[in-house]
Amino acid sequence: MPREDFIAVDHFSFFYGPKQALYGIDMRIPERQVTALIGPSGCGKSTLLRNMNRMNDLIDGVRHQGDIRLNGNSLYDPKVEVISLRKRVGMVFQKYNPFAKSIYENVVFSLRVAGRNRKKELDEVVERSLRSAALWDEVKDRLHDSAFGLSGGQQQRLCIARAIANQPEILLMDEPCAALDPTATLKIEALIRELKEQFTIVIVTHNMEQATRCSDRTAFLYMGRLIEYGPTLEVFENPKQEETEAYISGRFS
Amino acid sequence: MPPNHPHIIRDFDESIRKLSESVISMGNQSRLNLQRAVEALIQRDIDRCKAVIADDSEIDEAERSVDAMGMDILLRFHPVARDLRLVISSMKAVASLERISDHAVNIAKRAKKMLSREEIREVRLIEPIYLMADELLRDALASFADRDSTTGRNLAVRDKELDRAHKRVVATLSQLLEEGGANSESYLHLILIVRSLERVGDLAVNVGEDAVFLDAAEDIRYAQRRYARESDDPDTDPAP
Repeated sequence: MPREDFIAVDHFSFFYGPKQALYGIDMRIPERQVTALIGPSGCGKSTLLRNMNRMNDLIDGVRHQGDIRLNGNSLYDPKVEVISLRKRVGMVFQKYNPFAKSIYENVVFSLRVAGRNRKKELDEVVERSLRSAALWDEVKDRLHDSAFGLSGGQQQRLCIARAIANQPEILLMDEPCAALDPTATLKIEALIRELKEQFTIVIVTHNMEQATRCSDRTAFLYMGRLIEYGPTLEVFENPKQEETEAYISGRFS
Repeated sequence: MPPNHPHIIRDFDESIRKLSESVISMGNQSRLNLQRAVEALIQRDIDRCKAVIADDSEIDEAERSVDAMGMDILLRFHPVARDLRLVISSMKAVASLERISDHAVNIAKRAKKMLSREEIREVRLIEPIYLMADELLRDALASFADRDSTTGRNLAVRDKELDRAHKRVVATLSQLLEEGGANSESYLHLILIVRSLERVGDLAVNVGEDAVFLDAAEDIRYAQRRYARESDDPDTDPAP
């Protein structure tokens, strides 16, 4: 039975020094569904996403209030090691960023860092991850070629394969299609729909049609506050809040 | 940031405004055609009968035009929320309005045939039925134009009054028809004219339901009809 509060954001506020970026966010993100975070630039959606992986820890002067729990465990528990957290949470960024290595080595990079070098295991991980990322058939005969020889869409799918190689529980995607052409974008969107069978996915997107196509739930953030959160079709057909309607309808200045 | 704030793309607001106005304009034209058809019947005016029949092609064209505008908006702007509901409900409403104009044409054609026969005083039975159908249509159009779901929601119950009146008039005319005589054909025409007016009431209810969807994002179609049916006597014909 998938958990309704797989990611629980509890009255979470976040500050960059004196500037408050998030104000008392409360959200329950269900397991093995796609949740889209939408809102105008600077609304806090990427900040919230990055906090689900504690990626903001390295920035000087940041602090938070409240908590985020993954599958019931606090991310901010002093006993939590960030390295082990990253194994539970995969991340895909706006600009595809494969390493200057072969396709194969890109996928197994995190396993090698963890000291796992058994060829049989690595081969299995490469095939499984590339198949899940819908890339296996296109690259199976050139696994040891440079990743840079792939098209942009293929490079982004390789980054997704790399992010899921460790079998994380959660996949965070920060505008994963922003640098791709329409066909490559549709392939990634189709992939997101497939990947939700295995992973809980949170995606930040500026593309409203992408949110409607890909996500099961949508959260609208504005000026650091969660304005509306609900099933995607309800949010786009009959939003409850005027700010949401203004934003998704293009009546926002 | 209220949702009636201007759209970032000015063309979009203009397209939405034109679409909305075209639906209401087409509705008023259908309503006028119905009025002229009934007037032609009562006043035995053959020229007006011909005009109603000829003007129907304008209504057909208006329906095609609204559908094309709706497709254009969907394709170019990918509307959501109330803008999306406006496009969908407009395209549905004009189908009902086009059917209403078809009923006006049916009435005009029957009126034309009746003109070649002796005038019968039972034609006057049509007027109260027409007035009820016209009020429903007027309020359906107002509910759509004003995004007034309360008025739109009430139409189904009001339509049952029209159904009852329709049944009474049909019973009277059927009795006369059974008695036979030289006016039998005219009585048959009147029965079918009353039937057309009863259908106009049903179609006005449909437009009201579209207005409820537009205003409140609720699909009340079958719940409304079921409620109206259950609140009526058991002999009532099922809603279409």
